[in-house]
Amino acid sequence: MDPYLKPDPREPRRARGKQEPPGRSSAIFAALRALVILLFGILIIQLVRLQVIRGDEYAQRAEINALREVQIPSSRGLILDREGRPLVRNGARYSAAIVPGDLPERGEVGVYQQIERVTGVSVEEIQGKVAAGVKARGEFEPVIIKEDIDEEAALTLRELEPVTPGLRLLTEPTREYLAGPVLSHVLGYVGSLSAEEYQLLNDQGYLLKDYSGKTGVELTYESVLRGRPGKKLIEVDAFGREIKVISERRPLDGSNLVLTLDLDLQQMVKETLEKYTSEGDNAAAVVMDIKNGDVLAMVSLPDFDNNVFSGPLGEKDFATLVDAPGKPLVNHVLAERYPPGSTFKTIVGSAALQEGIAATSTTITSRGYILVENEFNPNVVYRFKDWAALGPLDFYGGIAMSSDVYFYYLAGGKADEGFRGLGEERVARYARAFGLGEPTGIDLPGESAGLVPDAQWKEDAVGDPWVIGDTYNFGIGQGYLSVTPLQLITAVSTIGNGGKVLTPHLLREVQDNHGNILERFERSVRRTVPVEPEYLNIVKEAMRQSVTRGVAKKAAVPGIEIAGKTGTAEFGEPRPDGSHETHGWFVGFAPYDDPQVAIVVFFQRGGGGSDAAPAAGQILDYYFHGPQLAQKPKESD
Amino acid sequence: MERRSARHFDYGLLLLAAALVAYGGLLIYSASLTAYPDGIGGLDHPLVKQVLFAVLGLAVMAVIAWADYRLFGQMAPALYALSIVTLVAVLFMGESAFGSRRWITIAGTQIQASEVAKLLTIVALARFMADRQLQITRVRTFLTSLALAALPAALVMAEPDMGTAIIFGAIWLGMVLVAGARPQHVLMLGGFLLAAIPFAALAVLGEYQRDRIALFFNPNSDPLGGGFNILQAEISVGSGGVFGKGLTEGSQTQLDFLQTPTTDYIFSVLGEELGLIGAVVLLTLFAALLFRTLRVASMARDQFGRLLATGIAIMVLFQVFINIAVNIRLLPVTGIPLPFISQGGSSLIMLFAALGLLQSVLLRHRQIEF
Repeated sequence: MDPYLKPDPREPRRARGKQEPPGRSSAIFAALRALVILLFGILIIQLVRLQVIRGDEYAQRAEINALREVQIPSSRGLILDREGRPLVRNGARYSAAIVPGDLPERGEVGVYQQIERVTGVSVEEIQGKVAAGVKARGEFEPVIIKEDIDEEAALTLRELEPVTPGLRLLTEPTREYLAGPVLSHVLGYVGSLSAEEYQLLNDQGYLLKDYSGKTGVELTYESVLRGRPGKKLIEVDAFGREIKVISERRPLDGSNLVLTLDLDLQQMVKETLEKYTSEGDNAAAVVMDIKNGDVLAMVSLPDFDNNVFSGPLGEKDFATLVDAPGKPLVNHVLAERYPPGSTFKTIVGSAALQEGIAATSTTITSRGYILVENEFNPNVVYRFKDWAALGPLDFYGGIAMSSDVYFYYLAGGKADEGFRGLGEERVARYARAFGLGEPTGIDLPGESAGLVPDAQWKEDAVGDPWVIGDTYNFGIGQGYLSVTPLQLITAVSTIGNGGKVLTPHLLREVQDNHGNILERFERSVRRTVPVEPEYLNIVKEAMRQSVTRGVAKKAAVPGIEIAGKTGTAEFGEPRPDGSHETHGWFVGFAPYDDPQVAIVVFFQRGGGGSDAAPAAGQILDYYFHGPQLAQKPKESD
Repeated sequence: MERRSARHFDYGLLLLAAALVAYGGLLIYSASLTAYPDGIGGLDHPLVKQVLFAVLGLAVMAVIAWADYRLFGQMAPALYALSIVTLVAVLFMGESAFGSRRWITIAGTQIQASEVAKLLTIVALARFMADRQLQITRVRTFLTSLALAALPAALVMAEPDMGTAIIFGAIWLGMVLVAGARPQHVLMLGGFLLAAIPFAALAVLGEYQRDRIALFFNPNSDPLGGGFNILQAEISVGSGGVFGKGLTEGSQTQLDFLQTPTTDYIFSVLGEELGLIGAVVLLTLFAALLFRTLRVASMARDQFGRLLATGIAIMVLFQVFINIAVNIRLLPVTGIPLPFISQGGSSLIMLFAALGLLQSVLLRHRQIEF
C-alpha cells in the first residue's frame, strides 16, 4: 500500500482545507497572483512610457545611431603655368594606425608584429602608444603608430588592412609644389582648418579635419580649386563600419587654374635677383604684360619652400620661418611698401607736362643743390641736394639724368625765381590717378595700399603742417610717399600703354579636368590717367634716353630699345658720414616702339643704376632673346 | 495508477512553455543575424543549439514528471550539497565572461552552476520547510531556512552575480511566507536588512557592482563604455514604439548596437522589433504560465509540493521582472536570463526540469480522491 495514501498528520490545515473556505494559504496564493500582476504592471507602465510616450524621440535616436553623413572629398584643382606646365601635384601621406577597439581579443600581439614588420616600430613601442591612446581618447579613435610612411609600406598595409582587425591605414591628401621656393609666394599653400575657420566654413561643406588655401593663389581661388565635396548617407553599425549606402552625391572635382606666369622666366628672374642680393635682404621683381596686366613673373626674396606646409610642420619650424631675416613668408612684391625714389619722377613729369608746368624745352640748371629759405624766418636756409651738379637740363635730360633739382622745381617750384611748381596737392592727385595709394586689386591676398601723402594727411598723421621741403621730397619720390613694387609697375606701365591703369592678375584661365576652358580672364582697366598721350610719349622718350644715355645705362640690352627709370631711395637713419642706405629700383618697359612687357626690380639694399638696372636688363634680354642668346657675356658689369 | 494520473498532466503549462521557447527562438534567430548573416547554416547556430537544448529539456521534464517529486525531497540534502560544491568550484575553476565567473565545464559542456543551484536550493528549502511546518514560526527554524538560502546566494554573489543572488532571496522569502512563517519575523528581518544597506554597499558590493549602480543612475557619464549597453537597450526598446520595426528589421539589433542580444538583452530585441504589442504578448504568456504554476501550488497534496511550486513560480517571476526591468532601465545592469526566451542551455534545461517537478506534483495530487 502506498504510504502516501495515508493522510499526513503534519498537514492538519490541508486536510481541513477540503471542507473549509480558502484559508491563509490561498490568501497567500492570491497575494502571489497579485504580485505577478503588480510587477508586470510596473513593466508595462515603463514600456508605455518608453515606447508610446517617448517612442518618437527614441526612434530618432536610433536613427542618429545608425545613419551617418560622410563626405567624399573632391580632388583639388591643379595649377598650371601659361604654357600648361603643372606647378602642383596632389599626393597622399600615409600613416599606420591602430583602432584599439577593433583589435582581436587575444591576438593583438600578432597584429602588432605585422605592423612591426612593415613599419619597423617595435611591438613594445606599439603597445605603449596604444595604451596611451586608449587612455587619452578611448577605444575607437585611431592611434597613430607611424606617420608619413613610404608608399611601398603603405601598399603592404593596404593589403593587410582587410584581414587584420584593428589595423588602419590613414590617408591624408597632400599638395606637392613642384617648383618649391620658385613660386612659393605666388601659389601659397594649403593647411588644415583652424577651429575658428571651421566655425565659419562648416556650412559650406568643410569638415573639421579639412584643408583650405591659406595664402597665395591657393587662397584667392580656394572655391574654384576646391570643387564641391560629395556626400554619402550611410548606415553604420555600432563600430562605425559602413553597412550600406543609402544615398550618394558624387563629388565635383576642383577646376584647374592656368596662370599667366611663365615658369622659365620666373626661375630666371629669381636667379637674377639672387645674384644681386645678400642673405636676408629683400628683393622683388615683377614682369608684366603691359597691355593686359598678365603677370609673367613675380619674385620676392627671401623665399621659402611651401612644401614644408604639406608635411608635419611643428610650431617651432613655423616660428623660425616667420622670424627669419627678411621675413620669407611675406610677399614683398605687394605686402610691403617702400619709398619709390626717382622712379616717381616719371609720374611727376607726366603731371607737370599735363598741367603746363613744364614742356620739353623747360631748362633748369642743376648746380648740385638748391637753397630754400624758411617761409617764416628768411635767415634759416635749407639746402636740397642733387646727386651731382648736372648743369643745364631740358625735360628729357631731367628724367634721363634723374636730376633731383629739376624735379624740385617741377614739384615745389622756386618762388624766388618765379617758377611755379605743381604743389603737393597736384602731385598727390596725379600719384593717385596713376594708382598709387590704393591696392592694385591683384588676385593675391595681403596687398598693401601704400601711402600717398598730402597736407591733410600730414596734419592728421604726423601733426605738423606741410612745408615746401615736403613737396620737394615728394617730387623725387622720397619723404612720406611709399609704394609697393606692384603699384609702381602698374603706375609706370601707363606711360607705355597709352594711359591705362591695369589690374595686374595671375589667372589666365579656369579649366576643367579635360582642359575645356570654363572661364578666361579679361583685361581689367581700372582707369585712364588724366594725361594726354602726347605728354605720356614725351615721358616715355625721356625714359628711353635714361637707358640709352642716362643713369639707367646698365639696363641697356643690344637689340632691344628699353625705356626705364631707376630709383635709389634713401631709407633709415643716416650713417656717420651722412649718407644713407638705399633701396635700388628699376621700372620700365620694352620695346620702346610698341611696348609689350613692363618690369620692376627692387632691391632692399642696393642702387638703382648699379644693381636694379642691370638685373632688369638681364631679365628683359632673357625675355626677348630666350635662354640661348641671353646667356652671352655681359659687356658692362 | 499511471493512466489515471496522466489526465492530470497540465498540457497548458507545457504549451505555454513551448510557446515561450518558440517565441524566444524567433528572437534568437533575428538577434544572431549579424553574427550569422547567412541564417541557419549548421549546428553551431544559436537557434539550432537552443532547439536541441529544448528537446533535451523536454526529455528531462518527462523523466522528472514520471518520477515522484518526493524522491527529490529525500535526495534534497545531497542535491543541496552538490549545488554548493559546484558553486564553490565555479569560483576557483570557472570560466569568466563580462567580468564574472559563472561557467564551469563538465565533460566539454559549459554549465552555468548558479542556474542549477537555484532549482536545487528550491528543492532543499521546500524539504526543510515542509519537514518543519510547525516549527517555522520559531525564530531558530526561520533563520536556519534563511541560512540555507543565504549560503548559495553568497557564493553566487562572489562570482559576482548580484542578480541571481537577489533571486535566491526572493525565492526564500516567497517560500517562507507560504510555509507559514510569522510576518513579524519577515518584517524584522526586512528592517534589519534596510538598516544594513549602507554597510553592505561598502563591504559586500564590489567595485564592479558599485560602478554598475552608478552607471544606472547616469549612463551618459560613460556613453561608449559601461553606459553603452544601458543607453542602447533603452533606445532599442523605445524606438520600437507600439508595433515594432518588424522581426529582423530593428536597426539597433541588426547593426550591433546591443551587446549579448540573444541572452541578457534579448528583451531589447523584442521591444525594438515587435514593439509594445510583442511585449504585452510575452508578458501575457508569462502571466498565464505563472498562474498555472501557482495553481499547481494550490493543488499540491502536500506542503513539500506546494513549496516546490511556489519556489519555482517566484524564481520565474523574479527572473522575468529583473531581466526586463534591466532592459528598460528600471533596475541597474545585472545579468539574468529571461526564462525560456534567452539563449542558454543551463537555464533552459533547468526550467524544463522545474516544469517536470511541477507536472510531477500535479500528477500525484489528491491521489486519494475517488
